[in-house]
Amino acid sequence: MTALRGWRIFALLGVTAVFACLPLFLPNDYVLQVFFRIVLFAALGLAWNLVGGYAGQLSLGHVAYFGVGAYGMAMLYAHHVPLWLSVLFSALIATGFAAIIGSIVFRLRGPYFTLSTIAFAEVLRLSVTNLPAAGGAIGLSTPALFPPGAFWKMFYLSAVALAFVSFLVNAWTSRSRFGYYLMAIREDEDTAAAVGIDTANYKLRALMASAFLTALGGGLYGSAFQFIVPDSVLSGEISVQIAIITMLGGAGTLLGPVVGAVLLLAASELFKNKFQESHLLTYGILIVIVVLVLPEGIVGGLKQLFQRKTKPPASVAPLAATPAQGGD
Amino acid sequence: MSTILELRNVSKRFGGLRAVKEVSFTMDSGEILFVIGPNGAGKTTVFNLVSGFLHPEEGQILFRGEDITRSAPHVSARKGIGRTFQIVKPLPSLTVQQNVMLGCFMHTGHLHEAEDAASKILDFLQMSHLKDFEARGLPLAALKRLEIARALATKPKLILLDEVVSGLTTSEALALADLLLRLREWGVSVVGGVEHVMQVVMKIADRVVVLDYGAKIAEGKPADVVKDPAVIEAYLGAKYKEMAH
Amino acid sequence: MPRFLTDFIQACMDGLLTGALYALIGMGLALIFGVMRIVNFAHGAFLMVGMYVSWVLFDKFQVNPYIGFLISGLFLFVFGYLVYRALIQPIRDRSDFMQILMTTGIALILVDSVQLKFGADYHQTIIDLTNRPPFSFGAFTLNRAALLSFVIAGVFIVGLQQFVVRSRTGQALRAIAQNREVAPLMGINVTMIQGFSFALGIAMAGLAGGLLLPALYLFPSVGEDYTLKAFVIVVLGGMGSIEGAAIGGLVLGMTESITSAYLGQQWALAVDFILFLLVLSLKPSGIFGRQRA
Repeated sequence: MTALRGWRIFALLGVTAVFACLPLFLPNDYVLQVFFRIVLFAALGLAWNLVGGYAGQLSLGHVAYFGVGAYGMAMLYAHHVPLWLSVLFSALIATGFAAIIGSIVFRLRGPYFTLSTIAFAEVLRLSVTNLPAAGGAIGLSTPALFPPGAFWKMFYLSAVALAFVSFLVNAWTSRSRFGYYLMAIREDEDTAAAVGIDTANYKLRALMASAFLTALGGGLYGSAFQFIVPDSVLSGEISVQIAIITMLGGAGTLLGPVVGAVLLLAASELFKNKFQESHLLTYGILIVIVVLVLPEGIVGGLKQLFQRKTKPPASVAPLAATPAQGGD
Repeated sequence: MSTILELRNVSKRFGGLRAVKEVSFTMDSGEILFVIGPNGAGKTTVFNLVSGFLHPEEGQILFRGEDITRSAPHVSARKGIGRTFQIVKPLPSLTVQQNVMLGCFMHTGHLHEAEDAASKILDFLQMSHLKDFEARGLPLAALKRLEIARALATKPKLILLDEVVSGLTTSEALALADLLLRLREWGVSVVGGVEHVMQVVMKIADRVVVLDYGAKIAEGKPADVVKDPAVIEAYLGAKYKEMAH
Repeated sequence: MPRFLTDFIQACMDGLLTGALYALIGMGLALIFGVMRIVNFAHGAFLMVGMYVSWVLFDKFQVNPYIGFLISGLFLFVFGYLVYRALIQPIRDRSDFMQILMTTGIALILVDSVQLKFGADYHQTIIDLTNRPPFSFGAFTLNRAALLSFVIAGVFIVGLQQFVVRSRTGQALRAIAQNREVAPLMGINVTMIQGFSFALGIAMAGLAGGLLLPALYLFPSVGEDYTLKAFVIVVLGGMGSIEGAAIGGLVLGMTESITSAYLGQQWALAVDFILFLLVLSLKPSGIFGRQRA
């Protein structure tokens, strides 16, 4: 049963290391940049998975944390905060922001929760667009985290590191009380409360962890592309993309977000030349397909097929007339 | 014997309707008490009030001497009040064992300890053979037992069983009643609520509180209560009149 | 009359004119979300389709948008019904989560399909009425096109409200909203009525889209903001209330207009969302009545 024990963890480390190194031998920076995006979005999907997968709260506003990561890094650095500290601080700011947002939106259920996450992200985007101090609609240039020589190689490796950390957080979650509590909240909040779970508190913790990782991703992304505008790092499209990646791969599963990121980004890269700016159409069609045929996502669907005995008996054995020995 | 639960003049309104009217009763630890009454009498509301899912406008609720009138549900649960839901609320995509483990996690953060504790409880409720099935799609009889198992896993001092035998056949209900009697072995006091299945009440209840339109109309030993003319007249009606004579 | 007062009244009147169209959009969503409990994140995308239908009629066949909007409404009624049968009905009883995803997917498909067909360019619809000088009285002026839209929207608002309250179909609709289990026992074809309500709600968005055309630049993602706005309206007006949504629309129109007058137009949308978050967090249960049993 245990997912990460003994040889498995070494196997995992080995496979990760091999995969991580392969793209380093790629001939050109463009392909490496594509791989950077794929791995970065896998990390973002894994971060989102804590809230959207395990806790079952459909956030369509995660771009807010992504954007705070990117903008925070650029603005702190401009105010003479050391480079890497500005990345860390902006992630902490995003975490604090998540705490504020969460304490408001987690009192709401279902569609109101989702709508509020969008509304918060939109308010942030509109504010940044209209505030000259944040660069307004023109945008800000961002500091480079790595020297020009090994620029994309280093960014790619950073994305791998972030994805790996996010994966470990997910792995730990799936096998811990914290994760079970989140799943209980997803399945039925009343039942969760009845077994003593402070549902608002646990949802908040999940969101804060998720926001921290997402903001680190935003910092990397912002720095890698050297210039940020509200329509790039605060666009609602990124929120949808993160959610779709995870849902397509399988929300609430460990490998789902990774599989989803590889499939979705590879697909949009392949179709890019065919449909020019219509990658949203691909997303839309994928969403419809996932909802109609694969509600558990690819990994979740495969799991259903192979792992669990999903068909329970139609009736259970009646209770024994003389009660069995038990209790203590 | 010490008092475990006390309700003092508790009232709850929904809009203009008073669902619970100045209900008072006390209960000793170790006791099996049943709250009975026809549909809409206010049983579920009383359970929701005691477990913190609702809060009364008036009155006080004391649990082991402590005021829990305004406690949040998870706080009440941590103080030692376990509950089941009338409309069963399993966590559908988790397995039976995982459902029960959630209760166990109140006392341990370790997965293996929770698994072991859950297994013991599933043994007691005779559902070990179901432990790896997902809760979705289990028959009602199993889901009712799962509700009890999950509540029991939190090691409650008091367990509220809302309509735990409704929807079961009479033989299933009586078999479950035997099990409920044995909840005392786990150091649990029981408040049950039922609408119809009087055999169960007669068999295992120490005491009965009768509600009608949200007000308490009788209280006492089951054998006495069913003979009480007020109860027969106001609640049990024609169906049980013959039984009393 | 002092200047600040005339400015304020002018802003309120402008807001009311826009608000009537918002009311129409909001009532459509109230029917779909408030009454039928379908979480429609594609409302703005359907509105955009309505705008394009009117625009194509205007551009290719010189049909005046004030006639074309009726065809937009009809087209979206049929289109809405088909979308319901194909994509919404199969997931009708699934979680909000799945409904949100599905309708988000539908919205993406609509926006990008329109973009593939018509391109991402901006289009302006100039008709005679928009060029005429504004209608003025005293210190106040009113845009003639907006005034005409206001009057037409008013007719449809009252019409929809009367339809829901008085007609047999409207009664069936409210019966389903009250109790989905009992309605079939009363001989109501639930699937049929739900599909009809969905289509009717979408048709309202289509009508509003047609009426908005002369006032807005047209581009494929023009409807995006309107999805959130429509939810803001429904929440402001009180969940499940068609009449409430009408009032919510007027309130939102005035809020935007006043914000534009005093803070600048670029803040209008942000204020919408802040208003939404305030209402939800200060009166989370009070404003949408039937949240949980």
